[in-house]
Amino acid sequence: MSRRTLCVWFPDWPLADETSERPVMVVAGRRVVAATRAARERGVEVGMSRREAEGLCPEARIRPRDPGEETRRFEAVVELLEEVVPRVEVAEPGLAFVPVGGAVRYYGGERQVADVMTGKIAGFGVVHVAVADGPFAAYWAARTAPPGEPRVVDDTDRFLASLDVSVLLDGRPDSESLVATFHWLGVTTLGRLRDLPRPAVASRFGLRGLEAHRLSSGEDRLLNPRLIPPEVAVAFELEDPITSLEQIGFLARKAASKLIERLRGEGVAPHQVRIEMTTADGEVRSRVWRSLDPMTERAVVDRVWWQLRAWLDSNDRGGITRLVLDPSDLSDEGRQGSLLDEGSGKLAAHRALTRAQGLVGPDRVLRAELQGGRLPAERVLWCRWGEEPPAPERDPEAPWPGATPSPAPALVPPEPVPLEVEWEGGVPSRIRLGTRWEPVAWWSGPWRTTGRWWKGEGPVDRYQLVTSAGAFLCVVSDGRAYLAGVYD
Amino acid sequence: MSVQSAPSSRELLRLQPGRPVELLGPPGMGATRLGCRMLVEPSRSAPVAVVDVRGWFSPLAAWEVGIDPDRLVVVRCPEPRMWAQLVGLLLEGMGAVMAEVPMRFREREAIRLAALARSRRARVVFRSSGTPLPSGVPYLRLRVVGSGWEGVGRGRGLLARRRLTVEISGRGVGGMSRTVEVEDVEANPVRLVSRLAVGR
Repeated sequence: MSRRTLCVWFPDWPLADETSERPVMVVAGRRVVAATRAARERGVEVGMSRREAEGLCPEARIRPRDPGEETRRFEAVVELLEEVVPRVEVAEPGLAFVPVGGAVRYYGGERQVADVMTGKIAGFGVVHVAVADGPFAAYWAARTAPPGEPRVVDDTDRFLASLDVSVLLDGRPDSESLVATFHWLGVTTLGRLRDLPRPAVASRFGLRGLEAHRLSSGEDRLLNPRLIPPEVAVAFELEDPITSLEQIGFLARKAASKLIERLRGEGVAPHQVRIEMTTADGEVRSRVWRSLDPMTERAVVDRVWWQLRAWLDSNDRGGITRLVLDPSDLSDEGRQGSLLDEGSGKLAAHRALTRAQGLVGPDRVLRAELQGGRLPAERVLWCRWGEEPPAPERDPEAPWPGATPSPAPALVPPEPVPLEVEWEGGVPSRIRLGTRWEPVAWWSGPWRTTGRWWKGEGPVDRYQLVTSAGAFLCVVSDGRAYLAGVYD
Repeated sequence: MSVQSAPSSRELLRLQPGRPVELLGPPGMGATRLGCRMLVEPSRSAPVAVVDVRGWFSPLAAWEVGIDPDRLVVVRCPEPRMWAQLVGLLLEGMGAVMAEVPMRFREREAIRLAALARSRRARVVFRSSGTPLPSGVPYLRLRVVGSGWEGVGRGRGLLARRRLTVEISGRGVGGMSRTVEVEDVEANPVRLVSRLAVGR
């Protein structure tokens, strides 16, 4: 089997549709993933933190990353590539791999194939194209190729040997300490790493080290395709064609969940997934997605969702009637994962929360940390589950004199809710709960906080009110009472 | 006729696999904090989740009763149509789930969730403040019927100690309702302090 692989790489694909002359950056999480030339001229680089980039180029317009939209646009590129070679594998929007062994005989050489492909897609923006042995080498050859001029690497071993070991960091920030250690030991290039005995590297650096050694030796995953257990492919036949994005999202989650569940039973995870869709009028479309790392359920869901959305957006054929997910190039990651950390319980929770994120959205799956403050609402720092929490706005270790004491109310409205309170002689006598008035049996307070007067904040009085229907935390500001907590 | 004894404090405050518990009572009576206490033990072995329909749940109370912040995830679900599916998802993976029940829910969905909890041996506590769940859903129903505070006076002191009067019913007590008192002292975990009455 030929390993010759052509890589097509659009470095700024997220911005390929950008026409503005002004500086523009695309941000994913807290990192810049693409920047226009105007932004680069001001010092912005891909991989830089958003804060640093904004400091260098404060006038830049920030765009959040939208992989679904990028996939939809990239679909046109892939279709053009498939006119030359049918088996295109998409790694991410803007990056695709094509096995060119068969096409070389037809077109007369690798350079000819690369030229034909480059010519077809040149209108989509700055593109780098290269041919080498396997996706890893082809990708790095494309990274070092001049834009629009295909590079053909004949001696892949020699090419890889010249690369700095920091290439192992690409897309894998968790390998930072590994690469730093290689540098510290004087192993600065992949060639030097390859010359080390593999058992010694595996023994010293574990699985990551072993994988790095394999890559430096030119052993891509294509060399080691595992046998695919039969009947792991997942197929969904749909009685009624689905067309809405909501239905597609649900189908993507269901299919990915079923696929990963089956593979987990085999103790494996896929590096490639073929997504096949049949439309209501009988058209069958298929696309292969690949990943350097074994795909998680979330990764499969994302790719299925992007792909189905791209197909349906580009061509309305009456909806989807059949969906097939066919995994290949399986790794042992599933089995290894199930033995990590605290066992299957933690993985199951991770999976459940990932699916919950897919259902209600990532902004509604939250964890919290303690921060400083006087009112209960101020003391909770919310962040999305799975993301690093932001730095606390208020120091939780500071004393915070006058803070509302424990027990804390179990229910706290996101914003204080107006509360009707009747006062007699300056003390609370009744509060209105829904349609009825409840006498205040006991109360404590007022405790006054002066607020940040230098910012124009007025004083706030707090009361704990006890009625026969429960206990409540009430704040009074500018003569108006608000509900700030329920001791439920 | 065999008379089943009232559940011990350990049984009352312990969520058992496959045996859904319903906490019933209007907001302000202490049921949410009681539910948090039930999540403490499962949280020691796996992350636990709270399904928050109104968006009012404050993790401060959960942390006070002993849940590690790293082990608690709050999932907000203001849309009732997603509620059952969301709770079902979480039951399949979390160590335990406390799910606030929306004001309007389908009985069929609640019954299916209870069946799922039983088949997966999942730990779940439903926090209802409006309509109770259908009688076959909870294995144990704890209805907070009274709540009294100590430590606070007429403009003096602070909320310190609360005693909840809880009526227990359901299959878990053999169909015989019982009334118990539960104490909640400042930041200390709630605990069962006495059995008040046994009756039909």
